[in-house]
Amino acid sequence: MATRFELVLEGRDAVRMRALAEEVFEEIQLCEESWSLFLPGSLLAKVNREAASRPVDLDPLTFELLREALEVARLSGGYFDPTLAPLMERFGFRSEDRTSDAMSWGADAVLLDEEAQTVAFTKSGLALDLGAIAKGRALDLAADILRERGVQNALLHGGTSSVVALGTPPDEEAWRVALTPEDDAPCALLRDQALSVSANRGRTNDSGGHVIDPLRGEPCRVHSTAAVIADSASLADAWATALCAAGERELELPGDLCALRRFDSDAVEARSTSWCALGAPTSSFQSSESPLAL
Amino acid sequence: MTRSNRRDFLQQSLGAMAAVALTPSLAELSPLAGRSVDISVALVGAGRQGRAILAELQKIEGVTIAAICDTDPGRLKKAGRRVQGCRSYATHQELLEKESDVQAVIVATPTHLHRGPALDALAAGKHVYCEAPLASTIEDSKALAAAARKSDRVFACSLLARSNPIYKLARSFFRSGSLRDLVSLRAQDFAKTSWRSSAPDANREKLLNWRLDKSVSLGLPGELGTHQFDAYHWFLGKYPTSVRGSGSVRVHKDGRDVADTALCDLSFADGLRLSWQATLGNSYDGRYEVYSGSMASFKLAWTAGWMFKEADAPTQGWEVYANRQTFHNDQGITLIADATKLAAQGKLEAGVGLPNPPVHYAIADFLTSCSEATDPAAGAEEGHRAAVVGICASQALRSGLEVAIEPELFDLR
Repeated sequence: MATRFELVLEGRDAVRMRALAEEVFEEIQLCEESWSLFLPGSLLAKVNREAASRPVDLDPLTFELLREALEVARLSGGYFDPTLAPLMERFGFRSEDRTSDAMSWGADAVLLDEEAQTVAFTKSGLALDLGAIAKGRALDLAADILRERGVQNALLHGGTSSVVALGTPPDEEAWRVALTPEDDAPCALLRDQALSVSANRGRTNDSGGHVIDPLRGEPCRVHSTAAVIADSASLADAWATALCAAGERELELPGDLCALRRFDSDAVEARSTSWCALGAPTSSFQSSESPLAL
Repeated sequence: MTRSNRRDFLQQSLGAMAAVALTPSLAELSPLAGRSVDISVALVGAGRQGRAILAELQKIEGVTIAAICDTDPGRLKKAGRRVQGCRSYATHQELLEKESDVQAVIVATPTHLHRGPALDALAAGKHVYCEAPLASTIEDSKALAAAARKSDRVFACSLLARSNPIYKLARSFFRSGSLRDLVSLRAQDFAKTSWRSSAPDANREKLLNWRLDKSVSLGLPGELGTHQFDAYHWFLGKYPTSVRGSGSVRVHKDGRDVADTALCDLSFADGLRLSWQATLGNSYDGRYEVYSGSMASFKLAWTAGWMFKEADAPTQGWEVYANRQTFHNDQGITLIADATKLAAQGKLEAGVGLPNPPVHYAIADFLTSCSEATDPAAGAEEGHRAAVVGICASQALRSGLEVAIEPELFDLR
C-alpha cells in the first residue's frame, strides 16, 4: 500500500481517540505486512513465490480478500484482475526493471480451496498484485475496529483515493468528499458507505496510463476517472479500477453499486468530458450546486 | 566490456574473493525456508505482540497454530480472524487442559503475567517461548529461570538481537576486533505512540494499559531497553554493574505516572558506559544501538546495520564491493548477510535490510530448537540476566538514584 492513511474521529476524549487511532493504524500496518507486494516477508510475497508449485496456506482474512478479488474479476468480465503483477512490472509501474521472466496473468488460474484454505496457481509465471483492492480492505477492517469500539462518526482514507465513512459529521447529513481537486468537482455524500476514486492518469507510461487493461495485456490508453460508492471500500476499490480498465467499453456494475465516470482529454490535463452516472440510481453524488441528475 | 558490465563483473569477482569475510548465509534470512518443523503451537496473550507473532508463525512451514488464549474477548476475536481453524480460550489453564497435543506455548502476556502461563506450560511438558523482559520482578524471573533449568523442554526468551542475522554478522566482526578499542556505547528507542490501548469499557482500561500502571510496569527501560541492553551484553560478553536513570512525562500528559521520556546511563566494571534514551513523543531515527571503537563504529537498527570506518582503519577485501549509504558527512558500509551470494546474483541492493521483522528470527530459532533439540539463541538464563538489568534500570529511573547491579542478582543457585 505504501501510502498515507488518515482518520477523522469525532468526540471529546482526545486521549481515548488517540489510542483508538493508534489501534486502527496498527491494524492497517498488519494488513500491509500481509498483503504488500514489496515486502519480501509478506504472505503475498510467499504466495507469489510458491503457489505455482504447491498450495499455500492462507489466514482467513487473506482467503476472504482473495475470494472477493476473484469474484469481482468474474463479475467484471476480467476488467478487474488481481494477477497483474507481471504486467505492472513489465510496464515499469512496479520497478525500474522492465523485464520479467514471469509473463502470465489471468484470475482463472488462481484456485482457492475452501476446505483447506489454500491458494494455488494453475500456471507458472503468475503473480498476485492486490494493490487495487487491499487498501480498501484494510480500511474496512479499520472501520470494523471503530464500530466495535462504539464509534458512530468517523472518516478514514488511504491515499485520498479510498474512503470509508461512518455515520456523519456533527450536524450534517453526510460526509462530503470531493472526487477531484478542482473547485467545481462533484462530491460524494457518504453515510456508512465507502468511496473509491481511480484515475488512469498520474503515473503514466509511454504507452498509456498506469491502469492495465487485462484483456489486452497493456496499459489502458483511454484516460478516465471513475468514482464508485459501495458498502465496502474493497468493493469500491476493485470496481473503480475495473471501470478505468474498461475504458469506453461497456461494463455492467452490480445492482447495489453506483458510480460516476468521466473521460479525460489527455494524460496530463485534468480538464475533461463531463461526468456520467453508472449503476444504481442514487443521490449520493452531488455537483457543487445540487444533486447530479441520474 | 561496457562500463556497467565491468562493474557487475568486478562486483561478482570481488564477491567471490570475499566469501570468507561474510559468513552468515542466505538461509539465515529465511531460516526455515524449505524445511518443515511440523509442530503444534499455542499462543497465550493476543495483544499487539501476540498478533505480530501469529503473523510470523503463519509464514513458517509445518507450524499448526492450534489455539490462542486471551482474557480480553475483543483481542481474542481480532487475533482469531487472522488464524485459520484455531481454538480460542479465555484462560491458559483451560488451554493447557484441553490442548494436550500442543507441543509449544508462546507466552506474550503482559510482562508481570509471564510467570503463571510459562511455569504451567513447562509443567505440562510444553516447550516455552517467553517474551522479554522475562518478568517484572527478580523473584518471578528467578522462578522462571530455575524451572526452565530443571525442565527437559526448550525454554527460549525473546531477546531479539541474539537471533537477528544482521546482529549475528555484526557481532562476528565485533568479536574479531573490527572496532578495536571501545570508546562509547549509545542507543535510543524513539517512537511516536501513546503506549495506551483503547479499552472497550472502564473495567478493561487498567488491565489493557498495564504498561502505564507503575505498580506492574517496568516503564521504558524495562519494556523497551531490555532488548537493547541485552544486545550489548551479548556483544561485550559482560553485564553492567550499575545504572542511573531519569525520566518524565514530556508529551502524553494524560494523567499517567510512567515516564514517556527516559534516559539511562549504564556502567561496566572497566569504566565503559552505555548511554540510552527513549521517548514516546518523537520518532526521529527510531531504534538503534551504536558501538564506537578506535577504528570503526557500528550502528545497528534491528532491520539494517552499518559500519563507519575511521580514516586510519585497515581496509578489508570485501569492503570494495560493499554497499554504502551516506549519512550527512559519513558513509556507512551496509552490513548484509551473505553479501557474497547476493553480489554474485546482482542483488546486493535487494539484500539491504532484513526481509522479515526481528521477531521472525527469534520464533524460527525457537522452533528449530524444539524440533532439533538444540539450545535456543537466548535461553532462560540469558533471559533472567537481561531482566535483572532491565528491572534495575527501571528502579534507577523511578528513584533517580544510582542502582548497583549486584552479581548475586544474576545468581540462580
